[in-house]
Amino acid sequence: MEKTTIVIGVIGADVHAVGNRIIEYAMNQAGFNVVNLGVMVSQKEFVDAAIETNAKAIIVSSLYGHGELDCRGLGDACKEAGLDVLLYVGGNLVVGKSDFEVVEEKFKKMGFDRVYPPGSDIEQGIRDLMADLKNKA
Amino acid sequence: MPTYLLFDVGSTYTKGCIVDIDQERILAQASALTTATTDISIGIQAVKDRMMDVLSKVTIDQTLACSSAKGGLKMVAVGLVPDLTLKAATLACYSAGAKVIQAYSFMLNDHEIKQIEDSGCDLLLLTGGTDGGNRDVVLHNASKLSKLNRKFPILYAGNKSCQDDIRAILSAGGFDITICPNVMPVYGVLEVEECRDKIRDLFLSTIVKAKGLSELNSLIKEIVLPTPYSVMEALKLLSSGTKSESGIGDLMAVDIGGATTDVYSMNKQFVVKDNVGYKGLKEPLQKRSVEGDLGVRFNAHSVYELKADEVDDEGMKDYVQEIEEGKIDSFDTQKDSRLAAWCCEIACQRHAGRMETSYTPMGVGYYQSGKDLRDVRVMIGIGGPILHSKNPVEILKKALTQKAHPEILLPLEIEAYLDRNYVVSCLGLLAHRHPDEVLRLLKRNVEKLNDE
Ligand code: B12
Repeated sequence: MEKTTIVIGVIGADVHAVGNRIIEYAMNQAGFNVVNLGVMVSQKEFVDAAIETNAKAIIVSSLYGHGELDCRGLGDACKEAGLDVLLYVGGNLVVGKSDFEVVEEKFKKMGFDRVYPPGSDIEQGIRDLMADLKNKA
Repeated sequence: MPTYLLFDVGSTYTKGCIVDIDQERILAQASALTTATTDISIGIQAVKDRMMDVLSKVTIDQTLACSSAKGGLKMVAVGLVPDLTLKAATLACYSAGAKVIQAYSFMLNDHEIKQIEDSGCDLLLLTGGTDGGNRDVVLHNASKLSKLNRKFPILYAGNKSCQDDIRAILSAGGFDITICPNVMPVYGVLEVEECRDKIRDLFLSTIVKAKGLSELNSLIKEIVLPTPYSVMEALKLLSSGTKSESGIGDLMAVDIGGATTDVYSMNKQFVVKDNVGYKGLKEPLQKRSVEGDLGVRFNAHSVYELKADEVDDEGMKDYVQEIEEGKIDSFDTQKDSRLAAWCCEIACQRHAGRMETSYTPMGVGYYQSGKDLRDVRVMIGIGGPILHSKNPVEILKKALTQKAHPEILLPLEIEAYLDRNYVVSCLGLLAHRHPDEVLRLLKRNVEKLNDE
C-alpha cells in the first residue's frame, strides 16, 4: 500500500528547527511519507506542497509566539484550493502562558482540526492523526 | 578527424562556418541577413557563396545545422501548481531550447483546450503531481487533451504513478505520447535533464519534419538541434570544461535577436548566502530563459512600450513606429543599440533571482527565490544587435545590479565578452563530439572586450 503523505513545517518567520526535525523523524517512523518544508514556511507553500503531493494532513508548528498571526487564513486558503486535509497545529502558539482553552477555541475557528498546548508529545499527535485518518476513510 | 560545415538557420542572420577539428581552426565563417519571410535556402546559399574560397578547396565530411526557423520549437507547458510543476515544466522547455507559447496550471477547461488546439504548438509537455502525489488533475487534463482534433506529440513528465493511465488515454486519442521521468519527483526538487533529452529527441525524430521545413530540402536531415539548445551546449562546455581542460567558470550570456532575447546563466553551485532563507523551486544550475516580447525588430515596439515611462525621446518613438510599419530602409545602429540595451536590461532582470526583505516581529529577514547571480563576472554578448553595436560593453553593462533594484540579484561587476564571429551557436553542434577541441575554439573565439 502506498504511504500516506503529510506536509510539515514551521510557519511564519519562525526559525526554531529542532522540533521540526524530531517531528519529521517521528512521522517517518510511524510510516508516513513526510514532506518537510522546514522553517520559515509561508501559508502558500503549505497549500502548494499539499496540492502537488496529494497530502492528507498538514502539521503546522509555531514556537516563537506569533502563531495566531501567522496561522490566520490558512484554513480558508486550504478550502479555497479545494484541499481536503486534516489541519493540525502545535508548539508555543502564543506568547507566555495564556488559558489554553481560549487559544484552542481561536485556532479551531480558523479551521484547525486539532490544536496542541506547549510541551505536547508528538506521539500523541501521531496517534490522533491515525485515528482521524481512519475515521475519514 | 573530420572537417565540418555548420549552419545556424532561421533567425535574422543565417550563420555558417567551416571547422577543421584536427587543426582546431575555423577555416571560414560567414553570415547573411535573411528576413523572416525569405526561403531559408536563400540564406544558406548566400552564406555558402561567401565561404566559397575555402569551400572549394576542402572536403567537408559532415554538414550539421541548428534551426530556429518557423518560430523555433514552440511548446505548450501544462502543470498543476503555478510555482511548482508548471514552473518546473517551463524551465525544462527553456533548457531544451524551446519557446513556451502557452502555459497552463490546474484543471484545463474547454476554453483553454480550445486555445491549445489553436496554438500551433509543435509539442506539449504535460506535468503535474510529485511521484505518488496528485493524480486527479493530470488524468483530467490528459483526457481533455485526448479529444483534440489537431494531433501533436505529447511528452509526459508528471506523477509516475499515472504513467500507464496517461499513455492509455492519450494513445487512444490518437496522440504520439512519450513518457519520461517526473520534472518534480519530490516536492521542490527539479529534474529537467531527462526531459530535456527527450525534447531534443522528439525535435530530431518528428518535429523537424512535421514543421515542414521542406524548403531546406537537402539540408533537412542535417538539422539536429534547436538553435538555443546548441548555444546552451556551447556555453555549458565553455563554463564547465572537460575532463582534461578546465572551463572559464561561472558565466552569463545574453542573445538578442529580432523577435526574442535569451538569457543564460551557468553556475557550478547554487548560491544562497548565509542567513538567507530560500523559497520555492531551486532553479537549474544551467538555466536559460527566453523573452518572447523583447527583440529589436519584430518586438521593437513592445520593448519601447516597456520603457516608455522612463525615456522621453521622440526619436526612438518614431523609430520603433517605422520599424513596426515596415517603412524603414536603413536601420540606425545607434538606435538599435539603445533597443538592444533595453532588451538586455529587462531580460536579465527577469532571469535573475530576487531577494525579498521581510520585516517580522523578529526583525529583518531575507528570503531568496531564483538564482543569486551577484558574483558572476563573465557576461557574453551574442547576436547581431550586440555584434553590430559601436559599444557592446555598454549594452552588456545593463545586466549589472542597479542601485534602484538591489533586490534583483544580478552581477555586481562584469567582464564583457563577445561572440565576435558568430560561432557559438554553430560550435554547440560539436560540443559532444569533440569537447576538447571545441572548448579551445570557444575560448579563442569568445573575445574579451575592453571597457571604453
Ligand atoms: C533553541 C531556542 C532558540 C534558538 C533556535 C535555534 C534553531 N535554529 O532551532 C534561537 C536562539 C535562534 C531562538 C530564537 C528565538 N527564540 Co527561542 N528558544 C529556543 C529554546 C531554548 C529551545 C527550542 C528547542 O529546540 N526545543 C526542543 C524541541 C524538541 O522542542 P520544540 O521546539 O518545542 O518542539 C516540540 C514540541 O513543541 C512539539 N510540537 C511542535 N510542533 C508541534 C505540532 C503538533 C501538531 C504537535 C502535536 C506537537 C508539536 O513537538 C516538538 C518535538 O518534540 C526554547 C525554549 C524551550 N526550552 O523550548 C526557546 C523559545 C522557543 N524561544 C523563544 C523566543 C521568544 C525566541 C525569540 C523570539 C527570542 C528573541 N527575542 O530573539 C527568537 C525567535 C527567532 C525566530 N525568528 O524564530 C520562546 C518562545 C516564547 C513563546 N512562544 O511564548 C521560548 C519558549 C523561550 C522562552 N521560554 O521564552 N530560540
